[in-house]
Amino acid sequence: MAAKIKYDAVKAGDAIPTVTIDHVSRPDFVRYAGASGDFVPLHYDQTFVEAAGIPTVFAQGMWTAGCLSRCLTDYAGAGQVRRFKVRFARQVWPGDTLTCRGKVTGKSEKHGEKLVEGELEVVNQKGETTVKGNFAVAAA
Amino acid sequence: MNVSLSIICERIKRELGKSRRLPVGTIRRREFERFAIAADDHNRLFFDDAFARSHGYKSAFAPPLYLSSVMGWEAGPPQESLRADGTPSNDATALAIEGLRLMGGGQELEFHRPVADETDVVMEFSVTNVEFKQGRSGELLVIEVQKKYLDGEGRPLVTCRENFIAR
Repeated sequence: MAAKIKYDAVKAGDAIPTVTIDHVSRPDFVRYAGASGDFVPLHYDQTFVEAAGIPTVFAQGMWTAGCLSRCLTDYAGAGQVRRFKVRFARQVWPGDTLTCRGKVTGKSEKHGEKLVEGELEVVNQKGETTVKGNFAVAAA
Repeated sequence: MNVSLSIICERIKRELGKSRRLPVGTIRRREFERFAIAADDHNRLFFDDAFARSHGYKSAFAPPLYLSSVMGWEAGPPQESLRADGTPSNDATALAIEGLRLMGGGQELEFHRPVADETDVVMEFSVTNVEFKQGRSGELLVIEVQKKYLDGEGRPLVTCRENFIAR
């Protein structure tokens, strides 16, 4: 398989490619609802969320995680991701601009495969972390 | 402890260690392509067989998060069968949390092999932990489940450990 990164060339502290999502919108959530089957109305129904005491709809957590995973598929190759862990820390609202970023924290070998490990986060335009995570990807 | 939370916690504890094997069905290219576009990920490995083969894969394959992100593998539940929070009441993986609101807390995923078009998939589902907690905004349950996705030959594709907050 095509590993895009060379194990020996990677070092702790290296940044991985950043993905920016400009102006998150409600149609993003609706499109994702259709593709994932996540039809929880908190993500698209204004009347429903207001009745629940929430100002407006917000993104599905796994939509934001999917955006974050692009950092890894761009960095290492889509078939090279071995571990991906995310924790949802804060809601993503329509109008937000998101920056998905990460850095290498170490390297290891497992089952004869060379792995690059690191941490990830999604921050909004206020600098608040909305998703936090870590990863392992295979390297050549 | 809130009585209903207590009852629900005990009900879920009775499910611990019990594994259910559920058919997901056959993975279809158009569906994972839609998923990739919904996450704004236009990686050619998800769309282009020739490109995928030139990179050492047998064919195009699904985005890594596809299996663990899709919440239903049927055509879709009828509106009247949805709970008030919009989740299906008759889903085989539905947790017995009637009356509570369920929020995803995160996922931990291990990827074992790419998931290609026409792969037959089954899921082994189990509840692995449930804890009662006192959060900043009141009492809640933290529920952990494991979903292990296997291909038709029983080989692991993706292992997902997921946690939810119910309140």
